[in-house]
Amino acid sequence: MSHGLGLMSLACDNASDHAGEELARLLAGYRPLPGIFDEMMDPRGAPRGHWQPFLSMLAALGTEEIERRFSAADRHLRDSGVFYRVYEDPAGLERAWPLSHVPLVISAAEWEELKAGLIQRAGLLEAVASDAYGQGKLVREGRLPAALIAGNPDFLRPLVGVAPSSGAHLRFYAVDVGRAADGRWWVLGDRTQAPSGAGYALENRIALSRAMPDIYRALRVNRVAPFFQAFQAELTRLGRQDDSRVCVLTPGPMNETYFEHAYLARYLGFLLVEGQDLTVRDDGVFVRTVSGLKRAEVLLRRLDGDFSDPLELNARSRLGVPGLVQAVRDRKVVIANSLGAGLLEARGLLAFLPALAPHVLAADLAIPNVATWWLGHKEARRAMADELDTMVLASAFTEGAAEAPLREGVVGGALDPARRKRIAQAIDDRGIDYVAQEAVTLSTMPAWRHGRLEPRPFSLRLFLAKVGTGWQVMPGGFVRVADGSDARAVSLQRGASTADAWVLSEGPVADTTLLPTPERIVIKRAVGVLPSRAADNLLWVGRYIERAEATLRLVRALINRTTEADETAAPLVARISALLGAWSAGPIDIPHARAALIARAALSRGVDEGSLPHLAAAARGAAAVIRDRFSPDAWRALVRLAATVEAPLPEGPAESAISERVDQALRIVASFSGLAQENMSQLGGWRFLELGRRIERGIATCRFVRQFADDAALEVLLELADSQITYRQRYVMVAARAPVVDLVVLDPNNPRSVAYQLDKIEQHLAALHRRGVEGRLTAPQQIAAAAATALRTVEPDAIDDTLISATEHALMRLSEAIAAAYLIHNERAEPRWEALD
Amino acid sequence: MIYDVRQTTAYTYASKVAYAHHVLRLTPIDRIGQRVQASALDIVPAPVARREGRDFFGNRLTRIDLAEPHDRMTIRMAARIVVEPVVAPPPETTPAWEEVRDEVFAATDIGATSPAHFLFASRQVSLDPEIRDYARESFAPGWPILAGATDLMRRIKQDFIYEVGATTVSTTPPMSFALRRGVCQDFAHIMIAGLRGIGLPAAYVSGYLRTVPGNDAPILHGADAMHAWVLVWCGEEAGWQGLDPTNALIAGDEHVVVAIGRDYADVAPIDGVVFASGGQRLDVSVSVTPVG
Repeated sequence: MSHGLGLMSLACDNASDHAGEELARLLAGYRPLPGIFDEMMDPRGAPRGHWQPFLSMLAALGTEEIERRFSAADRHLRDSGVFYRVYEDPAGLERAWPLSHVPLVISAAEWEELKAGLIQRAGLLEAVASDAYGQGKLVREGRLPAALIAGNPDFLRPLVGVAPSSGAHLRFYAVDVGRAADGRWWVLGDRTQAPSGAGYALENRIALSRAMPDIYRALRVNRVAPFFQAFQAELTRLGRQDDSRVCVLTPGPMNETYFEHAYLARYLGFLLVEGQDLTVRDDGVFVRTVSGLKRAEVLLRRLDGDFSDPLELNARSRLGVPGLVQAVRDRKVVIANSLGAGLLEARGLLAFLPALAPHVLAADLAIPNVATWWLGHKEARRAMADELDTMVLASAFTEGAAEAPLREGVVGGALDPARRKRIAQAIDDRGIDYVAQEAVTLSTMPAWRHGRLEPRPFSLRLFLAKVGTGWQVMPGGFVRVADGSDARAVSLQRGASTADAWVLSEGPVADTTLLPTPERIVIKRAVGVLPSRAADNLLWVGRYIERAEATLRLVRALINRTTEADETAAPLVARISALLGAWSAGPIDIPHARAALIARAALSRGVDEGSLPHLAAAARGAAAVIRDRFSPDAWRALVRLAATVEAPLPEGPAESAISERVDQALRIVASFSGLAQENMSQLGGWRFLELGRRIERGIATCRFVRQFADDAALEVLLELADSQITYRQRYVMVAARAPVVDLVVLDPNNPRSVAYQLDKIEQHLAALHRRGVEGRLTAPQQIAAAAATALRTVEPDAIDDTLISATEHALMRLSEAIAAAYLIHNERAEPRWEALD
Repeated sequence: MIYDVRQTTAYTYASKVAYAHHVLRLTPIDRIGQRVQASALDIVPAPVARREGRDFFGNRLTRIDLAEPHDRMTIRMAARIVVEPVVAPPPETTPAWEEVRDEVFAATDIGATSPAHFLFASRQVSLDPEIRDYARESFAPGWPILAGATDLMRRIKQDFIYEVGATTVSTTPPMSFALRRGVCQDFAHIMIAGLRGIGLPAAYVSGYLRTVPGNDAPILHGADAMHAWVLVWCGEEAGWQGLDPTNALIAGDEHVVVAIGRDYADVAPIDGVVFASGGQRLDVSVSVTPVG
């Protein structure tokens, strides 16, 4: 009851009087919804006790400062590149992360209750999974209908009789809970397939604790980092061999929560892999890396179980690893959660868990789940027949049934008559596919809208990790906040926002000294494990970016010559145009076309494969599949480059618009290079990007030299090689062939020269893991060394077309040799079906 | 009847296959009414790893890995099999279909032969409302289940045209239903979709038909390759009954069972993942010869 008095008890001196006024102002317009439990405000309109310290501190900031803090949190999320993807969105767009800034405050006492209830539930679910894939006693004894297991699309039959080698089906478990009007927490659903949200919760936490460090510290909010540390240590411990590593298995960048996969992998220090990065051999599961096959003994699975092995599970999966099930059977790999654990998500199970608990655990469920009836039983069907209008009807499984999928659940009474009739018939035919559930209302929590607090319904996702034989619960959670005030349904996909959950501690919290990044844990990334697929894409990002730069330089050289009224420029214009044509960046068949038109073609998305939009899109595409390897800024530079060159140019010749476009694009390319250099791990990944760039730059420079190394065009050559300033500083005279060629081809100190590229290539190759015979150069090294030596042993005036052509070809061969030496695993798996009749 | 069964399956690849995993479901096993006296499975090139096993439904599986680069894989299966004549119960003695349905919905058996596994949509058999409504016409209220299922089988034979090439191995039941044509796989899938649609368990059988029928009977469809038909659950007493909608026949001693599953995807004779680029060609030849 002290809760309700909080406001008044503050009013004992002037300062608190002031504070009281601020708090009253903050809460002035806040009206809980009728008949709905509000987390922050009690029925008498006073803030609940465990919210008061937070609210007072928030109120003390004042509206302006609150808004400033909240936008700082948004900015942090944007800068970290947090996004999610919406499946239904035809454009497959990434969405900015919608943070509702006010956290859900949970008291220490209430947390203890929740925790105990969820740990109990985890134990029950583990028992159900272990029985379904083991002895099947629960079914035989009539405690679970056979149809509810057999009809579950996530009941993976090849795994029946295969006990997980680590002893547990569940290692990471998420539960959605909501609070009913009577103030009790209810379990809304279980997430066991590949639970998402923990990584987003972590990002929310970092963003918010940075925006409000003072409040966060003063409130003694439980840290979530120790939970992740414990989980990380546990998974690491499960690998038994010295050389094993933990991998996060993701379906790839098109998945809606790919950001989280990449984020968690980085945070936990695990290797992010897709199915095609892994291969099953006789003695286990391996990652294909640039240094050969590396053992993967533990997989944190974010790929649905059924898609994990095209050989024994869903043959149409292009995301899985052929043979993975056999590796599990042979106990060569630990998968968390086990293949098949998704079966526990079925809504139909909710109908039986309350009765199973006393049998399995010798105790009732401490936290009840939503009252559920499985309509496969004739008695349940009859009992529910008259109640359908007030009930939520839903699929009994995670996948919907054919005619009336009801994946999300609908209130019977809200259906139009035709649909209602169809559903009633479907239930009559195949009640086994459906459940009826009590329609639940959720409680509300405050959200900051239009400069004030408003009540919003929410559900809370909590996370549990198996550690040793017990469970740890993440003290915090992932809150999904509804947009409107309809307290019946919440779905992030439908545009809701998310919030952090702050679990208050009664004692001091550990780790407080890590501010301003309280949740950052420092973990060493596995060294030298670069999946071949990632390396291959990095190499190509480098090549596309560099080719884009070279093309931009050509276009600029072209435009520069059209603005000079000098007639002598005409032949040069033709030669530059010809080179653009030879690069498929512009038309080859209009020798007398106006330079501006050719420049325009190179900058527009036409049929020309080498045009800027094509190159930028190719670079972005290659980078998109390995986004986790780039910093958010570097990624944004690529996106910006693609967007910039895609934008239509103003009509007409408009030389100035063209050169503006070129300069802008070149600036973005330069910023990408800087960001990649600054922020990418030097352990392999960056080297492949660099190799791609150096090879492409070498090739481009060779082509420039072949075209423009004559007296009439030396200025163009210097310009293309971006070496005018160096030349002027060195020679203070008009361009002459020998010194220009020396500078552009041989000078090891000119970062644009061919020799410099070869030099760098040799350095990178030497730093990569050696796959050749001991004491010998690898094939790529041999090619690079031969080409570099040829340049080191020639005089500038002896450089001719033959040598340049030879160097150019060596660089092209080099690209292939690198692919053969490091990236050769790009074999593709094609599941096949045999025909018959 | 005793049969000698031979099947040769040959894949020819457009480019060398460096590595391949395959799962083979080609070897018949002993079943009720069927005894395998001898069988052999020969694979060229020789696999580096070969394991024999059973799938969930008890079918024989051979898992092989090929590590030798190859552009052709040939699999030869040979078996001698004794098949007993089948005595199907008189349809009118089987229970009402609704009774069977409610009994299965409440089943407490999750073992491999439990009808509960065969009630639901599966990889290649979605539960299409139109097929369900088509099937419902054969099941008047209170009708004995085998009578209804036999009627459905005859209607499929009558209403659909057997046409090789009209469909492919990945044609869905709604597609072949709309076309009103297909081959044994399509007819089996349609019949299964119809039965499951009204809550009745139905399984998919892959196997062989006697190549030249006895007693001057007409040549049956599906004898020159692997064949497919349907098992219908007729209640605890009558159990599973085999019905062949392609030929409107109760499956008897001219049908040799290889594998049983929920649909074709469960029993595909050869599943595989090859590491190669380019296409492939498949040649299959089958003979089922009575030897006594």
